[in-house]
Formats: sequence, C-alpha cells, structure tokens
Amino acid sequence: MRPLGKAASDDDRPLIERVRKGDQDAVRTLYERYFDRIYNYVYARLGRAEDAEDLAIDTMTRGLTRLDLFQDQGVAFSSWIYRIAHNATIDHYRRHGKVSLVSLEHAPALESADPSELAVEQLSNEDLHTAIRDLTDEQQQVLILRFFQDLTAAQVALIMGKSVGAVQALQHRALGSLERALHGRAVN
Amino acid sequence: MTPEVERLERLAERLRAVDPYVPPPGAKIRGWNLVLAAVEQSTTARSRVHPTRRLVLATVAAAVLLVAGAVAASADSLPDSVFYPLKGVLENTRGALTFGASDQLAYRLDLARTRLTEAQAMFARHRVDLADQALSALDDQLNDAALVIQAEKQSDPAVGAAMENRLRQAVATHDAQLAGLQGQVTNPTALNAIMQARDRAAQALQTASKPAASTGKGNGTPGASPNGSGAPNSPNPTPKH
Repeated sequence: MRPLGKAASDDDRPLIERVRKGDQDAVRTLYERYFDRIYNYVYARLGRAEDAEDLAIDTMTRGLTRLDLFQDQGVAFSSWIYRIAHNATIDHYRRHGKVSLVSLEHAPALESADPSELAVEQLSNEDLHTAIRDLTDEQQQVLILRFFQDLTAAQVALIMGKSVGAVQALQHRALGSLERALHGRAVN
Repeated sequence: MTPEVERLERLAERLRAVDPYVPPPGAKIRGWNLVLAAVEQSTTARSRVHPTRRLVLATVAAAVLLVAGAVAASADSLPDSVFYPLKGVLENTRGALTFGASDQLAYRLDLARTRLTEAQAMFARHRVDLADQALSALDDQLNDAALVIQAEKQSDPAVGAAMENRLRQAVATHDAQLAGLQGQVTNPTALNAIMQARDRAAQALQTASKPAASTGKGNGTPGASPNGSGAPNSPNPTPKH
C-alpha cells in the first residue's frame, strides 16, 4: 500500500495558528497534508473520480476557511476535516442519490456460501471497493478510515463520535458484512 | 482464535494492502488554487472586522444601549431619582431645539406641568425640600413663558394675546391643583411653599399682560423675577436642585 503522507495527528495546532495569522505557507502545508487523504476517503465512498475531486476541494476549502468554527469545537483538526468530508459525502448522496444503501449487516448468508472458501488474496482492489460501497454508511466509514486511511480505532472514534469499543464492534460487523458481500459476488 | 476471526483478520490485512486512490496532479493544483483564493478572500473579510474593531463596536453598542436605557429611565424620573439630572439635560436639549414663540410657549408650559407633577409626588413622599425646588422651577417656567408672550406681543399683538390666553388657562389649572394640594398638606413649610408658588404664578400672569416696554427682558424687575431672587429669569429649564 502506498502511504498517504504524514498520518493525521494533533500536531496541526501550530500550523492552524499560523493559518489564522494569514500565513499561506501554513495553508499549503495543511493542504498537502490532508488533500490526498480526503480525496482517497471521498473516492472510496463515492467511486467516482470527478465527484471525489470536487468534494475533496470543497472539504479543504471549508476546513481552511472556517477555522473559527474548528476552534470552538475543540477537536483535532484531522477529526474535524474528516467530519467535513463525511458530511459532504452525505450531502452528495442526498443531492444525487446513493446507488445502494442496502445493509448487509444482517443479510442472511447464502445457502451455498461458505466464507471459508473465499480467497481474499485473489480479490481485486476494485472488487473490494465495490463491495465496501454496498455496506451501510457507518460500516463504509469505519473500514475506509481504519484500513484505507490507516487511522487508529481511537482516531476513528473521535471522527465518528463513538467510543473506541463501539468502533471496534462496528469494525467487526463491517468486516463480516464485507465478507458476505464478497462471497455473494463470487457466487453470482 | 476462531476460524471466523482468522478469516476477518485476513480480510482486514487484504484491505490494508489496497492501493489508495491518488488524486491526479491537475486536480491537486486546481484544488490548491481554489483553496488559496477562498482563504485569501476569507482573510480579507475577517480583516475588515479586526478583533480590536469588533471590541470597539461592541463597546459602542453597549454604551448606546446603556445611554438609551438611562434616557428611557430618566424620562419619568422624579427629583429623588439618580436619573433626574439627566432629565434636566434632556429638557435643555429639547429647549435648544425649540424655535418660534408658539413652540417656546408650549415647551415652557409643558415643563411647568411636569414640575407641578414632580412637586405633588415629592409632597406625597414628604420631601418638602424637593417639592419646594420643583415649585420654584414651575414658576420659573411660567415667568419665562410670560417673557416669551411679551416679546411676541411686540411683533404680533394678536398672536401674543392668544398666547397670553393659553398661559392664563395653564396658570388657572395649576392654581386649582395647587389649591387642592394646599388643602391636603399640614406641614407649615409645605404650606408656605405652595402659597408662594401660587403668588408667583399670578405674578407671571401679570408680567405677560404688561406691555413689553414696561418690564423688558431680563431686566431684574420683580415682574421678571417673580421668585423673589432678584435674578433675571433663567432660560435654563432645568429645575433648581
């Protein structure tokens, strides 16, 4: 996996202070630090490069021009920017409609489905992306943040506004749903 | 580790190995240009209302509200109120903006009525000293009104006569109220103050009925200073304190 740049962290505070003072270099640094990650997150959610590009730019614009709101919320900038991206994604779904929002969390396993037969190593990246986009909103979010964005469960918990335990449980269910979805695709 | 957990672990590892979507260079450049433009615009907008300026604006707004509140509170204040001096300032301001003999007369009679109301309230609160001051101020207003009428009689006798009639009616009303007040109070000082006020009001009426040449404006004659102080009538409508 290619790295997405420096991991999201709390050491953005000095940069944010410089941005507030009008330092364009600090703006550039934050943009470089987060744009690829946000683009990747949004693309994984939407599956369309054009939409991902627009939403990533929109997210960064909102994030870097509304730092006064960020200060009031008292959370890490990384968590805040992911929340903006998430909200932008939801808005996009509302405006354009989501292709599929079928929850596979409780979907019954196919009679012939034997998840143990699933050869995950042979799955293509596209298969995985497509199957993830069939999961529920929260399941998508947790898998993308944990495995594509390489964030810790604690960081994901902050972004999603949940406890770490809830995120871990959600992750477990999301992986189960994904496995079933992938197996269903393999059978079909 | 159960088989299910093992399978999910393998799936998780596979997800970690997925290559990330990377934005095309053109998209990143376009994004940077848009973000930079938005940030510059935002910074300009913020600088228009600098924090110091915001503080000044907030202070001014608070001061305006405070003054407005004090003005509102002073409008009906009585001589024993902390807002009463402000009432005098407002009355002086109103007087400075009042032009024309008829308006001047109306202004003086209005203040005279206000002073009488204040005097009644102060008697009711047993503040004879403040009531006495209010009655003196009442007579000052009536005397000033008389001088206005005198001056108007010289330029337009008909209008002057009509104004004198208005003063006469006002004095009659005041006198009736003062007579009623006189029957209610028992304090000798208060009684004396009321009687003096009635006398001075009558003298003001006499001043208004005399030809202007016989008294003159502010000439220090008893007619021009019916309160007996010997000083010419003050144009200041503020009650004496």
